[in-house]
Amino acid sequence: MSVDEEVDAELDFHVAMRIHEYIARGLDPEAARRAAMTKFGDLGSTMTTCRALGYQREREMQRHEYLSELMQDIRLAMRQLRRLPVFGCVAVSILAIGIGTTTAIFSAAEAVVLRPLPYAHADRLAMVFDRWHDVDGNAAAGNYAEWQRRSTSFDQLAAADFGNMTVASGDSPERVVGAQVTANFFTTLGVRPAVGRVFTAAEDHPNPNVAVLSDGLWRRDFGGDRDAVGKTIRLNGTSYLIVGVMPAGFDPTSSGEELWTPAGFTGEQLTDRDNHHYVVIGLLKPGATIDRAQSELTSIARDMEKEYPQTNTGYAVHVRSQKDVIVGDNRTWLFLLLGAVGSVLLIACGNVANLLLARGASRAKEFAIRTAIGAGRGRIIRQLMTENLVLGAAAAVLGVGVAWAGVRLLVAAAPAGIPRLEMTRIDGTALGFALMIAIVCSVIFGLVPALRAGSTDLHGVIKEGTRTAMASTRDRARTALVGIEIAVALMLLVGAGLLIRSAIYVARINPGFEMDGLFTARVALGQPAQGDGVAEAEQTFDRIVTALKSRPEIAAAALTSQAPLGFAGTSNGLVPEGRPRTIAYAIQSQLRMVTPGYLAAMHIPLVAGRDISDADVRGAMRVIVVSEALARKAWPNESAIGKRIACCEGTDADPRWKTVVGVAADVHSNGPTQDVGPEFYLPMAQAPSDAWMWVSRAMTVVARARHGDGAALAPVIRAVVKDADPAAPVYQAATMKEQLRTNLAATRFTLILLTVLGGAGLLLAITGVYSVIAYFVSLRTPEVAVRMALGATAFDVVALLSWQGAGAIIGGLVAGAMASLWVTQFLQSFLVGVRPRDPVTMIASIGVVALVAAAATVIPARRATGVNPATALHG
Amino acid sequence: MSGDQSKDWLHGTLDVLVLKALSGGPRHGYAVARWLEDTTGDRLQIEDGSLYPALYRMERKKWVEASWGMSELGRKAKLYRLTPRGRKQLQLETSDWNDYVSIVSLVLLTATGAGPDR
Repeated sequence: MSVDEEVDAELDFHVAMRIHEYIARGLDPEAARRAAMTKFGDLGSTMTTCRALGYQREREMQRHEYLSELMQDIRLAMRQLRRLPVFGCVAVSILAIGIGTTTAIFSAAEAVVLRPLPYAHADRLAMVFDRWHDVDGNAAAGNYAEWQRRSTSFDQLAAADFGNMTVASGDSPERVVGAQVTANFFTTLGVRPAVGRVFTAAEDHPNPNVAVLSDGLWRRDFGGDRDAVGKTIRLNGTSYLIVGVMPAGFDPTSSGEELWTPAGFTGEQLTDRDNHHYVVIGLLKPGATIDRAQSELTSIARDMEKEYPQTNTGYAVHVRSQKDVIVGDNRTWLFLLLGAVGSVLLIACGNVANLLLARGASRAKEFAIRTAIGAGRGRIIRQLMTENLVLGAAAAVLGVGVAWAGVRLLVAAAPAGIPRLEMTRIDGTALGFALMIAIVCSVIFGLVPALRAGSTDLHGVIKEGTRTAMASTRDRARTALVGIEIAVALMLLVGAGLLIRSAIYVARINPGFEMDGLFTARVALGQPAQGDGVAEAEQTFDRIVTALKSRPEIAAAALTSQAPLGFAGTSNGLVPEGRPRTIAYAIQSQLRMVTPGYLAAMHIPLVAGRDISDADVRGAMRVIVVSEALARKAWPNESAIGKRIACCEGTDADPRWKTVVGVAADVHSNGPTQDVGPEFYLPMAQAPSDAWMWVSRAMTVVARARHGDGAALAPVIRAVVKDADPAAPVYQAATMKEQLRTNLAATRFTLILLTVLGGAGLLLAITGVYSVIAYFVSLRTPEVAVRMALGATAFDVVALLSWQGAGAIIGGLVAGAMASLWVTQFLQSFLVGVRPRDPVTMIASIGVVALVAAAATVIPARRATGVNPATALHG
Repeated sequence: MSGDQSKDWLHGTLDVLVLKALSGGPRHGYAVARWLEDTTGDRLQIEDGSLYPALYRMERKKWVEASWGMSELGRKAKLYRLTPRGRKQLQLETSDWNDYVSIVSLVLLTATGAGPDR
């Protein structure tokens, strides 16, 4: 009876009783009815009130009933888990590790990739590049000025030129990355200073000598004293007034700059469209998109190509969102790791599902009995799902602990240079993520066994009382799970295999020079007291190199503007003599200013001609040594020796020709994972005077130790430099091997992580295979005993039993191989010397998985043949 | 008593009267109404309709529970029964009522006189 019907019936009854009473007192029926109604009062409103109260009561009862059933389910689930502590611990641990690692990597991805940059209008910030022949480069000040004048997509466009500066506020000079920025740089980013102010428009003129410090520099040099604002600081020998301090973490281009001075463009600079120094950041107008800005600036660039063909031919503009530029490759990297970790989680879910299926079999009788006494199918599924959620919840709690430890490990172990990684936290988002995947996992690993339990053939189970009735259907589910686990494990292994192949390839690459015992350090001179300082710089560096050569610990020493693994300057417009001086013939090449003996000190073999010598000084014939790659490019199929090339100084009308006197072997100067490019070496003693400005009056000392790995040379070099110029800072001092390690750290880190994950995935998958096969075998032990008794050989039996697992294994391998072909494309950017679809890796991985899976199959089968037939048949 | 005064007064005490009516054993709504009329000699003017919301409210509070049974006339009727909780509530309200009555009585029956300094 519904609430409405109950209320109607009850009130009807009441009125009928009254009428009956009044008739008994002598009223006629009609008068009795009227009297009863009067006595009752407002029937309609009473009915409404009673119905409302009745429904409320019904809802409360349902809610109460539901809650008490849920509590009952949870209590039951906990009791089930307690009754099987080993099962519970294994399942919860497997899941906790899976959930924890996935959450840790997710938190890192959240911090690095997903979280918006800490700027007021982060989504409107864009970076604008001068793009030359498909390479994004820095912008020329003149181009920046034109963009600013002509474009309408941006609220503001700011420019910054990054470079090393020598800062002196204590006794030892310090070398930091600094930037000359337009006054609107900070307002474009929308970041206010923590102390003091930023630059005013009035300071956007040549030489205002004011500076803004980073939080780090302020704390190091001024102890975080707010009175630092108003004091002066010496930069490259000149006094600057400190006007402000930026908040901690302000690093808009991830270049780690520590101080800012106004760019103060001169009129001349504002029309310079030839020197590309500036990073340009723009704040898009509200509603303007990157695409719109891109198409607008593209048309501006085309106009400028027509107006200034001399400087702007071949230049295009590229607009990218700032976040995209900064996050860049890390996005792929983190999602790759997340995918790998997620795969391991998936395998873990598969194993737990298998455990649950196995338990479902042993609980078949329990479910059958519960169904028999009236529990609906839905009720049993609900109870199983509750059990799984309890399992998942326990795993989530433990998993958060694992994630917390994982994040600390990741931040500590990850290579330097991943922006914002140190900001990784287990915060609300991470907890939400952990909870979500715990629920998803519970559903994934719980649904199959739960549905299976709900559709159990009751009669069969009760009659047989054993597992045989369910064996066949259950087998299919378990077999499929094993297949999936094998497929996912194979994918992980292929990924790890490709990275291992890359690592082997990289380790075997000849870098082009001898690493052993090689030590390098940067030395920067202060600003010249007078004039251009070229002679004085050359003399100081001469003193340093001469002193180094005389030291007994040092076998060979030289100077270069930049050693391999450091970024050398590039020369765009290199044109061999006899060719038209047009872009089509221009070669982009790295240039290194060196002292005599550089090639010898580095053990870079000379392929032809001679090395730069002490006789190659100003006034003598201008010479260069080119790399093989440059020689091939400039003079294919010809000897380069004696050929001439114009570079680095002079004009088109009056080129300064340099004669090639030697060809040096190629060097992997951007690191072993990068391709070899054209390079040339220019004698320091013949360097054009503005070359000292390009290199910011800083050179790299390369020294080869007579014994050992060269680490002991650091104090020697410091002492020599201090002797030659006490104000010159020595920085980035390290053995070449250390630098190589840093250079390869990210690749190595990814490799180790993926290998560990691949191994863990394989191990989990194999555990799954083993447990399933062992289960099949246990079902057929009596049959095996009969066969053995009838004369079957052990081999026959093993073959028979193994065949049962073979389908899953082969299916998994095929699916995994196909999935790998698709997945490996995401690894492309991490691979060196090996293609994503490398057949060797694929075959080797399939081989490993097949072999281990076969072993996991044969071992339980082999064990079955050892069972005593009598025990198997009667026990 | 008459009119609105009676209604206000009733509103707060209807529950306890119904509880009292049920304390003798299970009754349906009509029987509760008749018991109140018989006990008070018809001096309590309650509309029959107002009993039911009170009964439903008390059912929600679990002071009473109900089941359908056969009545004297062979019709199905909803029978209400006090729960242990309802019995406790009846005791509580009865003792509150007694306290109230004795306090009000004390005040009303005390002779008044002028204070010494007035």
